[in-house]
Amino acid sequence: MKLNWEKFYGWIDERLQLQDLVNFMGKKYVPVHRHSIWYYFGGVTLFLFIIQVLTGILLLFYYKGSADLAFESIQFIMSKVQFGWLIRSIHTWSANLFILSAFIHMFSVYFEKSYRKPREMTWVTGMLMLFLGLGFGFSGYLLPWNELAFFATKVGSDIIGAVPLVGEELKIFMRGGEDVTGATLSRMFGFHIALFPALFSILLVIHLLIVQRQGISQPLHLESEAENEIKKMPFFPNFFLRDLLLWLLVLNILSILAVFFPSELGHKADPFASAPEGIKPEWYFLFMFQTLKYFPAHIWFVEGEIVGIILFGFAGILWLLVPFWDRKSSIGKKNRMINYIGIFAVMFIIVLTILGWIS
Amino acid sequence: MKQTLMLLLFSLLNFGSLAIYAQIEDQCLTCHEAIGDKAAELYKTDIHFVKNISCTACHGGNNQLDDMEAAMSKKEGFKGVPKGDEISERCSSCHSKSEVMKKYNSNLPTDQIELIQNSVHWQKSISGNSNILQCINCHNAHGIVPVSNPASPVYSLNIPATCSKCHSNAIYMRSYNPSMPIDQYQKYLTSIHGMKNRKGDVKAADCSDCHGSHDIRNSHDVKSKVYPINIPKTCSECHSNHEYMSSYNIPTDQFAKYSKSVHGVALLEKNDLSAPACNSCHGNHAAVPPGVQSISKVCGTCHVLNAELFAGSPHKKVFDEKNYPECETCHKNHEIVTATNDLIGVEKGSACSKCHDELSNVEGYKSARTMKQLIDSLDTRIAFAKKLVEDAEQKGMEISEAKFKLRDAAQSKQEARTVIHSFNLDKFNEVVKGKGLTTTSLIIVEARESIDDYYFRRYGLAVSVFIITGLAITIFLYIRKIEKS
Amino acid sequence: MDQTKIPDEQNSRRKFLKYILSSWFGGFCIAVFYPLIAYLKPPEQSEVTVTSVSAGSLSDIEKESGKIIRFGNKPVILIRTQDDKLIAYDAVCTHLDCTVQYKKEMGVIWCACHNGKYDLNGRNISGPPPKPLMAYRVTLKGDEILISKQT
Repeated sequence: MKLNWEKFYGWIDERLQLQDLVNFMGKKYVPVHRHSIWYYFGGVTLFLFIIQVLTGILLLFYYKGSADLAFESIQFIMSKVQFGWLIRSIHTWSANLFILSAFIHMFSVYFEKSYRKPREMTWVTGMLMLFLGLGFGFSGYLLPWNELAFFATKVGSDIIGAVPLVGEELKIFMRGGEDVTGATLSRMFGFHIALFPALFSILLVIHLLIVQRQGISQPLHLESEAENEIKKMPFFPNFFLRDLLLWLLVLNILSILAVFFPSELGHKADPFASAPEGIKPEWYFLFMFQTLKYFPAHIWFVEGEIVGIILFGFAGILWLLVPFWDRKSSIGKKNRMINYIGIFAVMFIIVLTILGWIS
Repeated sequence: MKQTLMLLLFSLLNFGSLAIYAQIEDQCLTCHEAIGDKAAELYKTDIHFVKNISCTACHGGNNQLDDMEAAMSKKEGFKGVPKGDEISERCSSCHSKSEVMKKYNSNLPTDQIELIQNSVHWQKSISGNSNILQCINCHNAHGIVPVSNPASPVYSLNIPATCSKCHSNAIYMRSYNPSMPIDQYQKYLTSIHGMKNRKGDVKAADCSDCHGSHDIRNSHDVKSKVYPINIPKTCSECHSNHEYMSSYNIPTDQFAKYSKSVHGVALLEKNDLSAPACNSCHGNHAAVPPGVQSISKVCGTCHVLNAELFAGSPHKKVFDEKNYPECETCHKNHEIVTATNDLIGVEKGSACSKCHDELSNVEGYKSARTMKQLIDSLDTRIAFAKKLVEDAEQKGMEISEAKFKLRDAAQSKQEARTVIHSFNLDKFNEVVKGKGLTTTSLIIVEARESIDDYYFRRYGLAVSVFIITGLAITIFLYIRKIEKS
Repeated sequence: MDQTKIPDEQNSRRKFLKYILSSWFGGFCIAVFYPLIAYLKPPEQSEVTVTSVSAGSLSDIEKESGKIIRFGNKPVILIRTQDDKLIAYDAVCTHLDCTVQYKKEMGVIWCACHNGKYDLNGRNISGPPPKPLMAYRVTLKGDEILISKQT
């Protein structure tokens, strides 16, 4: 048995030079320090993404992306297909955890200022993937074609419609028409399973390649220390196995969540029904949704909502471009300003999400 | 009281205007009376004559000239006999203007023309030249007297005959509404309202009390006073007026009770036009309370099966003998509420216990007790099955099969509620046990299986969590191992 | 401690750990692949077909008779009329949700609960039902009767 395995490995190695890769990874080191825990969230996010791809493909086997069958096909998956409930519940839970872990990953990178030169591109691709992740969430939410999804999409695309200049066109493009209809479902389906995954994969490859090429960033305060004084651990197998361990734990959490809190389906969307009360977007949009609610109807002569959207857009772009305007960190200096802004952003998101949740 | 006062007022006014009349000579009347014109003669009794309104008000011309040619010349504005819509236009030229009416000390309303414009009578007649009715068709042309005057064709006692001039004329009505019955007048005469009206009771409802006077609309018109939804309110205008009804010695709470009843709620709150209004049971033109023995027939026009079953039941004979009103004995009359299980059985307050008790009528007592137990147990079993199905559904289980059967169970309950009117334990048993309880048991089994499957998922989870955790721990040990060495 | 024994012991401990690891891994594979394979196995009813449902073959339904067909979660009544037409209506009585049936003698759709009657156009003609029955479309595919929602 063992012999065979070695033979097999040898066969592959002869052709693909696997040993080079193993050696490369073995020579890669991950710095060990009190903030090392944050390194794992990139891996967890990746794992959840893989789960999303796998369960997504499985769901595609039964899902039908049309207004008259979408709801019924999900019902079919939930009831008739063996373990269909499990696959769908894992897909939804994993989506939520993916966003959560991506946010944690992003903020940890932000606070460690790991985006500083030469890792600007890693940061930018990561941020773009986070935006895409939100896009995944928004487009996937409509696919069951139930009441809640229908109206959440309506409200969500209405907000996009308020963007100055291009909003109306963007809204019509997203909806595939004036209103949320079967055409919107087809579009969202296309985004969710083709366009977004393709873009995401490209960004992911770039992101991972850069990480491999540049190695893992170490915190600013370690940079001053001599190279050999920094504690390190080999990426393979030590860090890799730890990653694996965490992945298994995440898988455990996922299956527990899926069994105890399976995804609900609700009622089929009826475009002519009145909106049910308390329509709320998914939690990761809640802080934006809630903030927009607090804006007054008019600020000077502009609609409050538009001002809010512009502010969010502006903040998003600033955030995306952090590595380019945070000049201090790039030259190895402390930049407290970044920390204050970051803490404010985290607090803002947490407080408004809670406010949105309880309202 | 009010009427006598009015009369007094009128005669006083008449007296005043007579005095004025004496001073002016009306040449129209002088001649037309001389040639024995009937119109002129009638006009002497007309309220307009009394108010010193000359023929010229409607016909034009000059009543001061004694030369006939000159008095009735175009130059003097002579218009002759008004034709078609002109007639009503003449009337409304004064009657729709409050400032004109005030001059004659009249407090008549001035909206008649407005009202009649929306009425069914203000459509083009078959000739197409004028509207079906003109004012004079009901009010007369030259002998117009106030409505309160018994000589008026629209005096309460005369109204039925006035309306029937057209409405009982088959040939006339055919040209407007061939499917409309023409027996309203005949029916009305047999009704309580009609009989009282014949006897000279002006308080009893005549046509206009229910249909309106100038604003008579088709009964399909939602604004009509006799549109199904409006009927209870229309009837209650008199029947809920305690003072008004005091001389008749009948209750005035029918509307209040009806509004609370299952029928009243359906009609008035849910606007369900198939629900019965007052007239559905009492008749409309021939309104009388249904007799004791005809109650089940009246209710049975809608509740056919119940009535049929009741007619074949042992109760029928006894009820007839004792002169109990059939449906009403258990379900009441105006305040018919949704029947609950508590209506049957032997507990206090149930309908059965009114006649059946443990000592007398023992067989019925026993049946009533069993029936109550049966339907109660069906209820609890269905509720239990429903809870299990909901539970399974809540747990995310596929249970549409059982849910589908739940409909059958609910149906058996509906059927049981109908078949109870046969007051036959065997028939009742067949539905409740044979259909209801059997189906319910099936549902319960299926739902339980589903719930079991739910727990299977929990065990499955436990196994997989165990395996994954085990693997994780081993990896953890492995890491420790390589890091040690 | 014996010097020569140490690598041996280490070796056997390492072997043991690997053995345990691979058996856990085997269990893990089962835990993951069992649901996956079960998921991929086509279910009995291999597709969602709620917009149309098969009502069996034409020979199964006699002339002048009705049949209750399950359509999703709702019953539908399929009737083959005297003049050999196929019609289908929602079988839920609009009065109190009982299931209606075809009454040959009366030539109507009849509800046993309160004697509600509908004509063969689905119109409520007598008894308590307040509304007509919703019609479904019936199509014949060879000998197979298909019922679908009218759009």
